[in-house]
Amino acid sequence: MNGELWKQPLEMLVPAIRAGKVSPVALTETCLERIEKVDDKLDSFIHVSKHALESARAAEREIKAGNWRGPLHGIPIGVKDNYLTRDMPTTAGSVAPGLSFPLRDSAAAARLRAAGAVLIGKTRTHEFAWGNVTPPVCNPWDLTRVPSGSSGGSGAAVAAGLCVAALGSDTGGSIRMPAAACGTVGLKATFGRVSRDGVVPHSWSLDHAGPLTRTVADTALMMQVLAGYDPADPACQGQPVPDYAKALGKTVKGLTVGVCRNHFFENLQEDVESAVEQAIADLAAAGAQIIELEIPLLEYGLGAIFAIELSSSTAYHDASLLAGRVPHYQPDVRMLVEMGRLVTGPDYLKAEQYRSALMAEYRKVFESVDVVIGPTTPITAWKRGEWTVQVAGKPESVLAASWRFTYPYNLTGLPAISVPCGFDRDGLPIGLQIAGRPFDELTVLRVARAYECAHDWKDRRPPL
Amino acid sequence: MEKPVNDPANIDPYKELFGLDSPPERLQEVLTAYGDILGEIRKLRTLDLTDVHPAIVFEPTAPYRKTP
Repeated sequence: MNGELWKQPLEMLVPAIRAGKVSPVALTETCLERIEKVDDKLDSFIHVSKHALESARAAEREIKAGNWRGPLHGIPIGVKDNYLTRDMPTTAGSVAPGLSFPLRDSAAAARLRAAGAVLIGKTRTHEFAWGNVTPPVCNPWDLTRVPSGSSGGSGAAVAAGLCVAALGSDTGGSIRMPAAACGTVGLKATFGRVSRDGVVPHSWSLDHAGPLTRTVADTALMMQVLAGYDPADPACQGQPVPDYAKALGKTVKGLTVGVCRNHFFENLQEDVESAVEQAIADLAAAGAQIIELEIPLLEYGLGAIFAIELSSSTAYHDASLLAGRVPHYQPDVRMLVEMGRLVTGPDYLKAEQYRSALMAEYRKVFESVDVVIGPTTPITAWKRGEWTVQVAGKPESVLAASWRFTYPYNLTGLPAISVPCGFDRDGLPIGLQIAGRPFDELTVLRVARAYECAHDWKDRRPPL
Repeated sequence: MEKPVNDPANIDPYKELFGLDSPPERLQEVLTAYGDILGEIRKLRTLDLTDVHPAIVFEPTAPYRKTP
């Protein structure tokens, strides 16, 4: 294998490990050394596993004995700190007194472990997965900037080669936003595709579990392990899990790509707009038919997601509110949790009615297109401590701007991926978002992979 | 003599209706921060969705789910 191990994507490591050309122990040691060397700058891990090397040795023994469990066997993977794990503490990013989470494996952690993965550590999350910055994590492309959030620890760690892949969670964009900001791939699969059992809840009907990886093929490999029915998650559906590898290696010829011109192309940074327009042109040149469309109902989405997310989060934290723990939360999270009390019951249900209407609109759209594409975020990674950014010449709060294009797919539950599509004038990654029909991750991955393979964005690494 | 609790004049709307038992200055901060979000929710309220069923559907069989 050419090049340093930490720079290799999962898709390159799998055949090498299976063939005995790369040792899981050497790979895990390399990741641990990277953590030791650069994580004092990034702060992406809150906990590094004491058992990682032991797991890697066990994987190596099994593989040598001819008992290869599958593509994740012996692969170091980071776990976001809101997933329960049996051998590492979970904090959900909170230091508030009186909170504790059980030492047991979440469904996703259990699936990764059963597949032979090495759970190398817990990556930082914004407290309770609220928010879009993940303090104190830095962006590996520019340490003065945020990695976005709330899975910012996972985004930064994957981009910087501290682990091969990582788990994230996405309630309004928290997998896709850090993927875009850190130059990784991030998939929020269809609601109900991946079990959230053992993931600290944020907003029950919006929360999604999923992977952040270096390439689309890596995402397909992770999804093959993570996807599937779990009765422990009331929202999980028993849809058949396809062979995700079938999405790879196909062109976009014959596919119809929708470009929603309202909402997703309003108030973008110039470099983001140029990169995404170029991506659309590239897909057209590769044989996709481009259809421009509008979904006027998107104009009402922000009120809906706020009503649902705020009231759900506050319901989850109700006992902590009564017990007086919430004042010990971080000031921004405390504010959001207290604010949720102001959302009325009718407003919440109106938001749920709105979701049905928006889902119906998307259904109509998907009668004539296979995927809908656009920018993942209107802005690239912003400076740490900055709360307002210039977007299209106007100031906008980062809270409003960062998730503008991602939350529609939490409201609709549709699968959506962020894949790197270039860099801005400051050398910061830009994300292209591709969304599809319910449970049609295959087409989403197919388009993402075809685009990825036609460019070299996935081969670039941050200067760390 | 104690005031009757069901007298509207005796109901603290934030404490009783919203369950926010905070000092007035904190309530003011929360209300101020909520202002922009309320603007978006007000916009949502203008939609006529009378005939649209909410996306959340009650499923009485949920406790009986098993691995297929």
